[in-house]
Amino acid sequence: MKILALETSAKSVSAAVTEDGTVLASAYQNTGLTHSRTLMPLVDATLKNSGISLEKIGLVAVAAGPGSFTGLRIGVSAAKGLAWTLGLPCCAVSTLVAMAQNVRHMDATVVCAMDARRNQIYNAVFAAHGGTLERLTPDRAIGLGELAAELKNDEKVKIIVGDGAKLCYTYLRETGIPCSMAPAALVMQCAVGVALAAGEMAARGETVSARDLAPNYLRLSQAERERLARGLKITVD
Amino acid sequence: MTYISHSVSETEALGEQLGRRLRSGDVVAYLGGLGMGKTAFTRGLARGMGCQDRVTSPTFTIVNEYRGELPLFHFDMYRIPDSDALFDIGWEDYLDRRGVCAVEWSENVADAMPAGTVYVTIRRHGENDNWREITVEGGDAL
Repeated sequence: MKILALETSAKSVSAAVTEDGTVLASAYQNTGLTHSRTLMPLVDATLKNSGISLEKIGLVAVAAGPGSFTGLRIGVSAAKGLAWTLGLPCCAVSTLVAMAQNVRHMDATVVCAMDARRNQIYNAVFAAHGGTLERLTPDRAIGLGELAAELKNDEKVKIIVGDGAKLCYTYLRETGIPCSMAPAALVMQCAVGVALAAGEMAARGETVSARDLAPNYLRLSQAERERLARGLKITVD
Repeated sequence: MTYISHSVSETEALGEQLGRRLRSGDVVAYLGGLGMGKTAFTRGLARGMGCQDRVTSPTFTIVNEYRGELPLFHFDMYRIPDSDALFDIGWEDYLDRRGVCAVEWSENVADAMPAGTVYVTIRRHGENDNWREITVEGGDAL
């Protein structure tokens, strides 16, 4: 089955088509232009250039969150519109699961990081081993201090991915936690990761209709933001 | 710094002066009630920043965007009940767009104004109803 995937969760924009775990086409740009301008031309060009018509697509996948409010709305709306017209099923892929795909070949603790402002990140931690990813935490917003405290006793190699990787890496190194950033070719979330993750979700039956496809903002209240900014927890142990 | 404005055009001129000094990422928060001239001040702000688009009140649109080398995003938070509701207008994305945000009725979302915000308080002058006392404070870089 061919999967068309869209990724607009942060500053970069990308589209990809995969078939049964093979990448057929992908387009990516990170030039700071508005997704509302770039996404559809990118999708159109990717499909046209690769000779894949929309009718050949069996599933539309999108990075549904966490991420920027506007970015997620653009990506999810586009995915919804494309899937609706053809009656296709959709996959709402976690942006953090999608970026973890980039380094799943490692034997390491994968720390996914997106900048959520004020020393906070959207984060999930996975154990990569033997080409698989095991989820160690839910998708969450967390203060960098709290994350550092969690990772302090982890003996495994730690590798950081995502648009907040540099922020997270700098903080963890300053805190004395050994870790490394994924290299430039692998560090950013992209539609290829969304499509590959969606393939696994679809196999488990985790699809939704275009109507039910919705962004997942991991929205924080102002009170939660202020607690996180002060380095306090927002969950009860 | 406190200034006295004797007319709408003087209010605009003060806005223009401030507009010339604003930099990418600055936030200007207005304090002061209805009919004080916040929109007039913002018209001057836009002119000082070199934005060509016509400045109007964003009461119904919540935000107006004025194009320019340094874009100006003009908010009216009158109908925004609290900071939590800012999420639904994509406030944080505006902060990332490297323009200037000018915020009317910032009182409603006071806890969400970032560090370094420039506060502009406009009050009626004691001696004449048409005069305004305009105080500009905050803004570490100014």
